[in-house]
Amino acid sequence: MVEYFVRRLLLTIPTFLGSTFVVFLVVQLAPGGPLEQQIQALKRGGETAGAGLVGEQALPKDAIEELKRFYGFDKPIWQRYLIWLGVMKREAKSYRITPGKPRLVGDNERLILVPMGKSFALRNADDPSKPVGNWQWRQENDPETGAIRYRVYREAYSGIFTGDFGRSYRFRKPVMELIAERLPVSIQFGIISFVLSYAISVYLGVQKALRHNTPFDFATSSAVFMTYSIPGWAIGAVLLVLLATDRFFPIFPLGGFEDPLYAELTFFEKIWDRAYHFVLPTIAYTAGSFALLTMLMKNSLIDTLSSDYIRTAFAKGIREQRVIWLHAMRNSIIPITANIGYVIGIFFAGSYLIERVFDIQGIGQLSFEALVARDYPIVFAFTVISVVVSLIGSILSDLALAVIDPRIRFK
Amino acid sequence: MAHVETATESAPNGAASGGEVLSIQQRRWRKFRSFGRGYYSLLLLVGAYVLSFFLPLLVNNRALVVHYNGRTYFPAVRDLLDLPLVGQLGGTPFLSGEELGQVGNKSECDYRALKRQYQAEGKGNYVIMPPYPFGPIEDISVEGNEPFAPPLSRTEFGDVHLFGTDDRGRDVFARMAYGFQISFSFALLVATLSYLIGVPLGAVMGYFGRWFDLLMQRFMEIWGSLPFLFLIIIVVSIVRPSFFVLVLLLVLFSWLGIAQQMRAQFYREKTRDYTAAAISIGVPTRRVLLRHILPNSLVPIITFFPFAIVGDIGALVSLDFLGFGLAPPTPSWGEMVSIGMENLTSGYWWLVLVPLGALFVTLMLVVFIGEAVREAFDPKTFSRLR
Repeated sequence: MVEYFVRRLLLTIPTFLGSTFVVFLVVQLAPGGPLEQQIQALKRGGETAGAGLVGEQALPKDAIEELKRFYGFDKPIWQRYLIWLGVMKREAKSYRITPGKPRLVGDNERLILVPMGKSFALRNADDPSKPVGNWQWRQENDPETGAIRYRVYREAYSGIFTGDFGRSYRFRKPVMELIAERLPVSIQFGIISFVLSYAISVYLGVQKALRHNTPFDFATSSAVFMTYSIPGWAIGAVLLVLLATDRFFPIFPLGGFEDPLYAELTFFEKIWDRAYHFVLPTIAYTAGSFALLTMLMKNSLIDTLSSDYIRTAFAKGIREQRVIWLHAMRNSIIPITANIGYVIGIFFAGSYLIERVFDIQGIGQLSFEALVARDYPIVFAFTVISVVVSLIGSILSDLALAVIDPRIRFK
Repeated sequence: MAHVETATESAPNGAASGGEVLSIQQRRWRKFRSFGRGYYSLLLLVGAYVLSFFLPLLVNNRALVVHYNGRTYFPAVRDLLDLPLVGQLGGTPFLSGEELGQVGNKSECDYRALKRQYQAEGKGNYVIMPPYPFGPIEDISVEGNEPFAPPLSRTEFGDVHLFGTDDRGRDVFARMAYGFQISFSFALLVATLSYLIGVPLGAVMGYFGRWFDLLMQRFMEIWGSLPFLFLIIIVVSIVRPSFFVLVLLLVLFSWLGIAQQMRAQFYREKTRDYTAAAISIGVPTRRVLLRHILPNSLVPIITFFPFAIVGDIGALVSLDFLGFGLAPPTPSWGEMVSIGMENLTSGYWWLVLVPLGALFVTLMLVVFIGEAVREAFDPKTFSRLR
């Protein structure tokens, strides 16, 4: 059993590499990337500044080179992928340097290129005896004039395996910081709706199974089918129009996560404000998954209830509640446990539609906007997270199954 | 599976239907019809879909018949014959205003104005408009159309916009109706194509197994862990896709579930005795696959078909809502909702509620059908023992 899960975990590695590479390829090969967008922006900027005389030549090759290096586009795609993974060294820091003149690198380190025979040597400008660490220098040609110039740089492994997801092009901030800012909101909704959808669907499923083919069953079926068939965000949009706009019943806020004056509220007001903003989005989140779980619960309980051991339990005179919740449930809950991983994936991946409808600044919105603006580091970070979540989710499903059903033996 | 169930279940069911012997398909059809909700949903949906092909004759800004100076024109019929992929069988539906007597109008004829003009002239020329005289694409550039007109509002010439208009003055009812046709055709195509890919692939994987199965499973695992809505958005933002390209894009990701389901079925069925019997009497492999195993493996995916449709319609509407679906000005439900949501505080509620109402009704009908199909294919009868 342990062996099975270890193998499953190991098998996620090639899958992870495969799927991230596919996304990497698609995103990077797509035209209109950040490089092109920056060039466009520079040209536009040049036009407004330079009285409309600037055309294609406006952007010096030097600047393009600089952009390429910054975005890593001067390397073939497989190298970019390896660098991004963090298994290949990248030029983490890179500065132009003029021989004989000190150059400030990093926080307070100054380097100088001193002539040594035909070549040069790199020294610490303030204290020549101090080692320069892993700083290196090289000679290169100015792409514009072809003149020789020099550059100091430092190589390092830095990629997702070292925990470095890069910096956002737009926000000029480390991606992890941005995600950490937005994640709590999404996680709160995820957890609340996860718990709610399981709680509701187990209870409702049981009630529906016990009252199969009664008016209660038919009435709730309609509600369940409705939420099953309609995407959660659409339910959210309808609720917003009906329960938040002035036209109908303006009971709930029009969106957002908290009141603009949230910080000034007292503790209890804060709790109330959160709850108030939470109601509609939570319904939208929950609706998506609870229908499927409810039907699974109902059908599997119905199956179990017609089995012989339940008849035996009743025949022994055990109370109905006990038979249902202790004898039948143990077997009936298996199918919905198998869905845990899937449900987690849904909350994660499908969230940006709901976040967009309710204008919640979660990671869904962040990644969607990043996608539109081609902010690659965020897009990739989101991909990594969602791939990892879906992979772990499926293992978690198996694990939950193994825990709850002692008959299941994975090989 | 179904094979085995036939044997065990035929006795009580056959007896119940008064001694006549019914094939399993007949019994399933009878059982399906006994679920009124599902059966009538099917009739309604099929009816609505068939009707939707005649939408150019029912909901259109082009006239059914124009009689002008002794000549008769049928612009709406030409619209009807303007088919995707095939082309304009009846010639172009475009007729300029000048051709029909609207002086100085070289662009498309405004038939509603033409009707008023002929009536005023009284020269015996006439225009017969479709029952609902607005088209899905005509916008504010046509005289009388106002943006964000509320439902049931009249234009200055007395024509009623049943569900109002959108930001560009396009009629919401017309767009909703055409949107139904597009969404449903889209979902049918995606579902059918993904079945056509998924079923044979899954069958081969499950039956032959070995390296092909192993390789495909790894591939499917990678493919399945991709954030697919995300990828579609990336691709769509590069190439503004036509209807068929978008269909293919969705098929690219939706065949997966079918193939997995089929693989599991074939894997199980090939170990059954009847398969062994068929192989041992020398039935060729192709026949074993197609005649023996396939019919017994189809039940779960047939019952899944309506739910696949539900998912595909939902996917299209979601993509349109994000602005990464069909290229404008294609009538689409999702696009209407996104316009409505952008102007949420302005109270253009009909832009959200009308298309989503249409979506709700359509999907509910499909789910009702799906539920009835599932029940009809399920040989188990509910019995509770206590």
